[in-house]
Formats: sequence, structure tokens, C-alpha cells
Amino acid sequence: MEGFLAHVQLGLATALSAEALLFCFLGVTVGTIVGVLPGIGALAAISLALPLTYYLDPTVALIMLAGIFYGAQYGGSTASILLNLPGTATSAITCLDGYPLAQKGKAPLALFVTAINSFVGSSFAIVLVMGFAPMIAAIALKFSSAEYFSVMLFGLIAASTMSVGSPLKGLAMVVFGIALGQVGTDVNTGMFRFNFGILELADGFSLVAVAMGLFGVAEIMSNVGQPSGAPMNVKGMRFRDMLPTRPEWRQIWMPTLRGSAIGSFIGALPGTGPGIASLMAYATEKRVSRAPSEFGQGSLAGLSAPEAANNASVQAAFIPTLSLGIPGDAVVAVLMGAMILHGIQPGPNLINDQPAMFWGLIMSFWIGNLMLLVLNVPLIGLWVRLLSIPYSLLYPAIILFICIGVYSADNNVFDIYVVLGFGVLGYLMRRYGYPATPVLLGFILGPLLEEHFRRAMLFSRGDLTVFLQRPISAAFLLLGAVFLLSIFLPGLRRRFALRRGTRG
Amino acid sequence: MTRKTHRITMAYKGATQMGAPTPQQGTRTMIHTVKTLLAGASLALGLAALPALAQDDYPTKPISFVVPFNPGGSTDLLARKIGESLASQFGQPVVVENRAGAGGTVGANYVVRSDADGYTLLMGVTGANAISAALRSDLPYDPVTEFDPVSIVISSPLVLVVRADSDFNTVQDVIDYAKANPGTFTHGTPGVGTSMHMTGELFALETGTELLHIPYKGSAEALQDLLGGQLDSMFADILVTSEYVKSGDLRPLAVTGTQEHFLLEGVPTMAEAGIPGFAAFSWQGVFAPAGTPPAVLDKLYAGVSAALETEELKEMFAQRGFLVEGIDPAASKAFIADEVAKWTKVVEAAGLRQ
Repeated sequence: MEGFLAHVQLGLATALSAEALLFCFLGVTVGTIVGVLPGIGALAAISLALPLTYYLDPTVALIMLAGIFYGAQYGGSTASILLNLPGTATSAITCLDGYPLAQKGKAPLALFVTAINSFVGSSFAIVLVMGFAPMIAAIALKFSSAEYFSVMLFGLIAASTMSVGSPLKGLAMVVFGIALGQVGTDVNTGMFRFNFGILELADGFSLVAVAMGLFGVAEIMSNVGQPSGAPMNVKGMRFRDMLPTRPEWRQIWMPTLRGSAIGSFIGALPGTGPGIASLMAYATEKRVSRAPSEFGQGSLAGLSAPEAANNASVQAAFIPTLSLGIPGDAVVAVLMGAMILHGIQPGPNLINDQPAMFWGLIMSFWIGNLMLLVLNVPLIGLWVRLLSIPYSLLYPAIILFICIGVYSADNNVFDIYVVLGFGVLGYLMRRYGYPATPVLLGFILGPLLEEHFRRAMLFSRGDLTVFLQRPISAAFLLLGAVFLLSIFLPGLRRRFALRRGTRG
Repeated sequence: MTRKTHRITMAYKGATQMGAPTPQQGTRTMIHTVKTLLAGASLALGLAALPALAQDDYPTKPISFVVPFNPGGSTDLLARKIGESLASQFGQPVVVENRAGAGGTVGANYVVRSDADGYTLLMGVTGANAISAALRSDLPYDPVTEFDPVSIVISSPLVLVVRADSDFNTVQDVIDYAKANPGTFTHGTPGVGTSMHMTGELFALETGTELLHIPYKGSAEALQDLLGGQLDSMFADILVTSEYVKSGDLRPLAVTGTQEHFLLEGVPTMAEAGIPGFAAFSWQGVFAPAGTPPAVLDKLYAGVSAALETEELKEMFAQRGFLVEGIDPAASKAFIADEVAKWTKVVEAAGLRQ
């Protein structure tokens, strides 16, 4: 315990230096802004900022870059709630319940709740990083392809009832998403698949381009024909509207904690990311909720769980990175690159070799998250005012930001065509009532399912029972089976009861 | 056609000579041997350039330096450091552009299609500038004929690592096991066609064994499975693995270069471990599109050579375990042909050609 306190003290000494505070503030502010701007995500922003940090002290550089990363998760939900346009690819799920809330005139409330969720989710994961990083990392090492496959399959099952409307259309869109995910390079053979000779498609469609097209560009296109004016009337919205009532608090806190736990778990697994975390949190919340019919209509639970999850996952992604030297997701991989180029090789010794850096970074997470809370709550008023900007000015600006954001991820003009193509597709899908979220679900989970299934088969030499022989994998498959039963059982029982009724 | 075949055969002879264990002292590696071998040839061919008047004032505008990967990796860092030095020498900005995709081939393809005037350069790597040509029939460019290399800047050997608690203590243990159990000893790589994958295939070819290749998307997840006990081995980056060797999690069996590596002292080379002539390594170099005026290439080569002498780069190389090469344009061109030939042979033996 004494050692722990000494570490916290050391961390605070590092994180509270004037330079660290300044760059932490800079990082979280930039993060919030790139999060709010549709299309420009944390990956692009960190990639752009990275060369600037070559001249900073390594710990300070990391504090700033990490600030951009988790700051973007705070900002990402803003555009989702207000405009039905995800600010980052990972906050697409926030549109589902965030935007309906805004339509009901509860935009300030929704924004306030996401700020709180984000803070709770982050704090939950930071506590885990502080207290149990090496332990959790050791568990993460037990996860191999068989386990990943079962977790992803569970996620897919849990999410299968996620969308509202026709289940058949939802299912068709999941399959469509999986098909889109097949474009790219076959991991086992290195062959280019379905890329039609286009080298830019050798890594598949960019997630940012698909998400921004289906959600962002499509939303704008659907609104273009509407009578001119502003998206919403914001007059009469008061500060008081921001604060949840007592029954609302009660709706929020359990989903927030569940979302934090799911997000921390997913985040600590290398090779996943906040997108999967928020999808799974939303899906699970809908399954366990007593009021699943409210999901998609502006449910506070449906807003809280994914928001807590994506923030928790971002912080938890530092667990494998800092304790094993294995990056938790693509963005942390870039952060790890930043460490290496400052002469710090992440590995299993990092926590012992660089205590000032490790604890300084962890304590800066607390400081950064507090700054974000303080920064974001007063900004709500400003963001809500965005809604009074007329369409004719707002939409061209957003399209521009989307194009810049998609381009800046890889400096690739091709991605701009992709985003516009998916925009048209997304518009047509809306027009005919095909939901976009299942596409994203299939697109994210499909390739992971395939990759891990095939790798598990390589390891087991084609023996399918491997998924049942490994305990963690078997547990998730069982959980998936329970979910499936809970989906079909009510229907079966009803039919059974009906039949008995007609007989009797 | 005959000329091309002839050159590759000649170059390949060079490769086998290079691979032989040499008692050579000093830090420069096998590429250096090629340099000596080819120094005479390049002189005879009259490639020692006479500065043409038109290119005398090069560069007169900013140079764009394409890195075919995202920022933060070793290729990006190397390009930025070299770019900084070139900028201060030439008095013109050198702008690093990250054009990532398809293992570096998107960036390489972009540079091939640019004007051959020395204002668009590529930080080329083993995968996109050699192995891809051996592996892919659908590669939209030819790394041998469509690039004029300025210099192969650095090389870095790999290391065969196993978990510290495994029963494999020597390379011979691995060979014996793999011979007794064909196709069961697993080695994980960051993907098909990476230098780690090719080195594994070369190992199988040279030892007459059959290994089970497990490809990942990037080395992080492979390392996770190796540490977690799912995977038997990796032919891996020395810098990354040296941390796990220090912590006692991984055991290095042999390095794939021709001499001991300074980050892994006491670890034998493959040749010392019983595979005579084994040599494989990844490398990085500066490339221009084919047809770049020789005077421009020479000026760039002089600039890169000077950059390699700076303390900043020397320090970075020592820290990251890079071996300095810095060979000239002619030697680099021959080296690329050599590498393509070497990996073509491995790809064909393993039946991987697509």
C-alpha cells in the first residue's frame, strides 16, 4: 500500500508539472474538437500531431497524445446526438438513442448524461489500470483465437436484435456488412480479395469512410430536400434542462456501470477497440433491459451504456500496452510508436523501468478526464446552439469536414470516393427502410470472426471442438446460446400456448 | 530477356557468397560485400556520373518524401530524420508524406507514377520493394526496373525467439522437432509476404523442415499468442523482442544476420547455430522513380551519406538495433535485383506465388 501511494505521488509530481498540465489541456481540447467534427477521428489527429511531439519530453508528449485519444471519445457523441452524424466512427451507435432524445428537445440532457457517462466509464477503467494492470494483462494473454472468435460470435448474437424495424431487413444488412468486410487481403494466404485490381482496396474499405458515408453523408442527403431552416428550435432551452431528474438518474446508473465493465473488458483485449465495445455494450443493455422497446426511441439506458463503454475501452486499451508492450487498438499502436521514437521501448518491464512515465501518464488520465468534464459541461450550451445554424451553412461545412477527415486518415483520395459512395448507398437504404447500424456491426465483427476462426482452425488443425474444449471460449458460446434462447423462447412459448389454446 | 536472366543469376551467386559466414570485423554487414563486389562493375559501366548542367542547381523546390506507412513506425522515423538532414544540407524543405496501405505497395506505386525528377522520393522497405515482386503477379510496378535506388540505408536482422519456458534451447532442437513432427512447429508473423514470413520459409527451405505458418495482422497479436503460449516461435524484430528477452519471458535462439547483434550479445547467428550460409534481414532505403537523372541521384546519395554520419542518426541506429549500410545507387540497384531473386526462389519453393 505504501508503495502504491509512493507511486501515486510520483505520478502526480509528473502529471502536475506546469508543462504536463499545459499539454494535457491542449491534448484533451484538441481531442474534444476532433471528436465533435464529423469525420476527423483520434487516429488521424494523433497521426498529424505525432511529428510535432518529436521535440517534447517523452512523458509530456504521451500525455498530450493520450489526451487527444480519450478526449475524442467525449466529443464524438456531440454530433451524434445533435445532428444524427457520428463525430467519430465509434460513436455511430450513440446516434441510435442520442438523436431521438434531441428530437424530443432533450439535447442538453443527453449531452450532460454522456459527459457523466464518459467520466464514469473512464474512471472505472483507470482504477483498473492503476490497481490491476499486470493481472488483467495476464488474463488477456489467455485469450487466443478460439476465445476471440467466441467473444465476437457472442457479440454478433447479442447485437442481432439491436435494430428496430423489420428483423429480416436487419439480418440482411448484417450479412451485407459481413460481405463488405470481405474486401481486402485474405490473412491466411495474403491474396487480395474482391478488390477489383484497386490497390487502395487491398486493406479493405476504411471503417471511417464506411461509417461517415452511411451515417454522416446519408443523413445530410436525406435532409437536403427539406424546407430550408435550422435543424431544431433551441429557444427556450435552459441550463436546468441539462440536469437529469431523480428517476432519470435511476435509469442511468446501472447501464453506465455495465457499459464501463464491458468497455474495460473489450478494451483490455488487444485487437479490438471502442467501436466493438460500444456495440456490445448497447446490445447487452438492450437484452438485459426491462424496457427494450424504448431502445432507439431515445432511451437513456441506450445512450449511457455505449458512451461509458467507449471511454472505458479507450482507457483500458492502455493495460496491455503499458504492461505487456502489446497495443490494445490501432490508435494505441500509434501512441506506442510515439514511445519508441522517444527511445522508450514498451515491454513487460515498462512499469518497473519507467515508473515516472507510467504513473505520470495514469495520473494525467485523471487530470485529463476532470478537465474534459469541466470543459464539456459548459460547452453544452454552445454545442446546442449549433442547431440554430441553418442547414444551408451547416451541411456544406460538415461535408467538407468529413472529406478532410477521411482523407487525412491515410492521405488517400480514394477514401473520399468511398465515403461519397457509401453516402449515396446509405441514403437509398434509409429511403427504403434498411437500417445502417447492422451493416456497421457486420463490417466490424465479420472480418474479426473470420480471422480468428481460421487461425483457431490452423492451431487446432481443423478440429472444431477446440471452441468447446477451451473454457473461456466455451463460456462465451454458452452465454451466446442463452441469449439465442431468450430471443426465441418467448416466441416459441407464445406459439405453443396458442396451439394449446386452439386445441382446448 | 537473356540479359535479365544473366544478371539475376550473377546476383544470386553474389547472394550465396554473401551468406557465407565471414570472419569480417566492423559494423557494416553483408550488403557491404556486394558493394565491394560491384564497385568495379559500376565503374566499368561508367555509372560514375558526370554532373549534367541542367541538374546542377537541384533542388530548387521542396522535395516530397513518401513514407508508405502510418506515422510512428520505424520507417516513418528514419525518413523524418534523413529528411531533416537533407533539408538542412540542400536548403529546401523535405516534406514527409505518409501514404499507407497494402504493406507499403500503395506508397511505392504512388512514387513510381511520379515524375522522375528527384522531387518525389520513397522510403522503401523489404516487403514493397522486393518480396512483393516475388510474391504477387498482380503487383502494378516492378521494383527492379521501375525504381532508381539512391541508397539502401540500413538493414536489421531478425531473431528466432521461443518462450523462455519452452523445451527448445537451440536451433538444433527446433530442427529436430520439426523433422520428427512435420508441419506442427508454429511460427507467427505479421502477415503473408513480410520479411518475417519469408525468413521462416527460408529457414524451412534451408533446413529441409516443414513449419506451420500462422499469419496475423501485425506483430502485436502474434507476440500476444507467443507470450500466451499458443504459438511456438516467431522470427521477430530484434528491438521489440530484446525487451522480452531482458524480462526473461522469451528465449532467443539465433539471429538471422551474419554476425552477432549488439542488442542480443551472446546469441549465435544461424550459421553458428548449424545452418551454414543462412542470411536474412529486413532493410530500408531511399528510392526515386526510374529515369531520375544520375546527377540528381548522386547529389541525393551524397546527402544521404552525410546524413548517416550525423550523431543524431548514429544514436538512433544504436538504440533501434539498425546496421548502417549506406551503399551507393549502383550497388543498391544490384542489391534489389539480388533480393528479388533470393525471395523469388523461396516463394517458388514454398509454392506461395500468387
